[in-house]
Amino acid sequence: MRAPHKFLAFAAGAALLAVTACGGDSDPAATPDGGETGDAVAATGGEISVRGCTPENPLIGSSTTEVCGGNVIDAFTAKLIHYNSDTAEPEMDIAESIETEDNQTFTVTLKQGYMFQDGTEVMAKNFVDAWNWASYGPNGQQSSYFFEPIEGYADLQCPDEECATAPTVDAMSGLAVVDDYSFTIKTAEPVSNLPVRLGYSAFVPQPDAFFASEDKAEFSKLPIGAGPFKVIENTATEIVLEKFADYSGESKPNIDKVTFRIYNDPAAAYNDVVANQLDLTDLIPADQLVGDAWKTALDGRSETRETGIIQVLSFSNVDPQLADVNMRKAISMAVDKELITSQIFNNARVPATGWVSPVVDGYKENVCGEACEFKPEEAKKMYDEAGGYEGIFQVSINADGGHKLWADAFCNQLKNNLGMECQVNATPDFKTLRQQIGARELQGSFRGGWQMDYPSIENFLAPIYATGASSNDTDYDSPEFMKLLTEAAAADNPEDANKKYQEAEEQLAKDFPTMPLWYQETQYGYSDKVDNVKMNPFSQWDLTSITVK
Amino acid sequence: MGKYIIRRLLQMIPVIIGTSFLIFLMVFVLPGDPTDGRCGERPCSAAYIAKFRAEYNLDEPLIVRYFLYLGKLLQGDLGTNFYGNRVVDELLLRYPTTLRLTFIAIVVVILFGITAGVLAGIRKGKFVDNLVTLSTLILISVPVFVLGAGAQMVFGLRLGLFPVTATQGTWYQLLMPGFVLGALSVAYVARLTRTSLVENLRSDYVRTAKSKGMSQGRAVGVHALRNSLIPVVTYIGASVGALMGGAIITERIFNINGVGFFIYRSINQRDGVSVVGAVIVLVVVYLIVNLLVDLLYGVLDPRITND
Repeated sequence: MRAPHKFLAFAAGAALLAVTACGGDSDPAATPDGGETGDAVAATGGEISVRGCTPENPLIGSSTTEVCGGNVIDAFTAKLIHYNSDTAEPEMDIAESIETEDNQTFTVTLKQGYMFQDGTEVMAKNFVDAWNWASYGPNGQQSSYFFEPIEGYADLQCPDEECATAPTVDAMSGLAVVDDYSFTIKTAEPVSNLPVRLGYSAFVPQPDAFFASEDKAEFSKLPIGAGPFKVIENTATEIVLEKFADYSGESKPNIDKVTFRIYNDPAAAYNDVVANQLDLTDLIPADQLVGDAWKTALDGRSETRETGIIQVLSFSNVDPQLADVNMRKAISMAVDKELITSQIFNNARVPATGWVSPVVDGYKENVCGEACEFKPEEAKKMYDEAGGYEGIFQVSINADGGHKLWADAFCNQLKNNLGMECQVNATPDFKTLRQQIGARELQGSFRGGWQMDYPSIENFLAPIYATGASSNDTDYDSPEFMKLLTEAAAADNPEDANKKYQEAEEQLAKDFPTMPLWYQETQYGYSDKVDNVKMNPFSQWDLTSITVK
Repeated sequence: MGKYIIRRLLQMIPVIIGTSFLIFLMVFVLPGDPTDGRCGERPCSAAYIAKFRAEYNLDEPLIVRYFLYLGKLLQGDLGTNFYGNRVVDELLLRYPTTLRLTFIAIVVVILFGITAGVLAGIRKGKFVDNLVTLSTLILISVPVFVLGAGAQMVFGLRLGLFPVTATQGTWYQLLMPGFVLGALSVAYVARLTRTSLVENLRSDYVRTAKSKGMSQGRAVGVHALRNSLIPVVTYIGASVGALMGGAIITERIFNINGVGFFIYRSINQRDGVSVVGAVIVLVVVYLIVNLLVDLLYGVLDPRITND
């Protein structure tokens, strides 16, 4: 029948008009010419894929000290302070303020209404309980030593190596909740840079659900933090994070989803980025650095970032021939670091003139002085005066870190300039090298690297060179150095503290336990789908500023 | 036939027990503390190490640990590895990908290898024969990583015909890696088929078939080929086992999340539990494939009987 048809047609037409009218005020990004309308609103939405690797430990802030887990932790957690991605300056994040009169008692006040990803609010007890849990010996948390300065830390440690008897105390006396949004930290000794440290992953708060769970490792397969992204999937091939809608921090992310794709080999990830099948990679294979091949292949989609990483060569303290400081300085002066960094690393490394990375507050230029300059004649003189090195001088490295080339060049320089017999001793992997260093088995020298935990000159000095420190591979023990560290920690203001730390660094220049090699820059590449790619000085992605085109 | 199968299955049990003990011994007697390197540049804290050792019974004597392991194995539990994941789950995650990759490789081998071998065999001495012999020689000489990296560079990066990596392990992503993996075996299978076929073409029954008026195709394809395939099937059966566990290089180049790379990574991480579990599964797979090959002989050549 005709009438119903006409009616239907009319109704359809009206419905169509209504729909287009509703859709009339759609956002500019939906127009066919893309978001290039030049308006001030940044492109939002989209998904990106990032090179990931298998985390060594569960995704708990205080469990993770390596890069693979660290990148994910950085995405889903927020801490008291946050480090600016450009300058590494500490900025308040969950904390409203951190105050102290004497650098020994700190009062932390939190912002109110900062939310966890499970809907609960971040309160003072979430910090205090998390830090106590991380410090408690039997929990075996790797970053536990970060809490050592807090009063009462020693009570939570296992009395013996096997931890046969658990410590009875599970809360440090130096931490006290004042009210819902504030707590105090009391350190055993004055620590002038404690606020700066609080942005490190060990200091994350944990939600109530974390403490309620029986198996924390199981809970952490889908962990809960207060950061801009929430983990929604965690498998052996990828870790997927989604934008947290109620993120309370200042820099909200532009993208909707991040997928950390697990790669076994950085070369595969690099190839994928070149082919635009992966969006971000932070590890360029060493062979691609030669002749800047990576820059050509990536064609404008590559960058270099100065990061807080330094590489040194440690001198074995069980080698009697290296006991003379002039011998060590002679070895340092006989190597042309400029040649190595320009030829082998294609300037992706910068020769070091001190023991501290240039990106941190407190860095002073050229603390090492003459001993770090290339002076072959003087080196030869010092070497001969010190009596020369009998036998083969070893340079120990790990074969799986791309160190063979520079170590060979290093040895050749010593052979040519000092007439030393030098050999590169490559252990099959990093684990074995660390084991041999730990057992104090190695003669000659061995490589060491340090990536900063927080942006302070103190982080390059105390954990590595303080007497008995966990990363003190050379067993360096200097009362003068320790005195300067203590004085710096007790200083009233950051400028005085930094001055004392610089004096401590000068003590290192006198004693020369290790030879500074180079500062490392991180090379990274990205696909043509993303914009505003930024990396912070910790070699981690700034996932909140990146946008999808 | 049934009795034969049952006998073979029973024979597998002492083999599995024996190999599992050997592997367990080799892995856990190796020097090296599994906690080394798990904590970055610094040594792990004493509490961390103590917790680790307690969780994995690393302080008990080796024999005790082996029997504890065997007990769990008989219940189908391959243990929990040093990352806190059950080995069974890890393998279940990776076997589908490995099976897909192996399937593609075997199909490539059968299609190209046998076809090339047959063509070369029936036209012995002619151009086709020389072409096959030369190209298989080249394939055998080129190392698999050159083949893999080259294929990735040319077909993946430059021409964009195939995905560069196979992270998700879909059929499409695994096509190129499967080809690369199968390429080496193609060469051997082609040569084996060719030689075997040439020999069989000279035999009496083929002459009889041809003089009876049978077409070349039927004489070769139906009669001669069946007998020629016996050495080829043996080879393919052996290579299935190797492909399942040994495609490490290809898996690394194409970022395939398969069993081979899992074993390699576990060895590197000194993750003994994973290594033992994965290798035992491989042993079982190998034994079953061998059984199937033996049964297949009876199908191909009725003169061979299993009893």
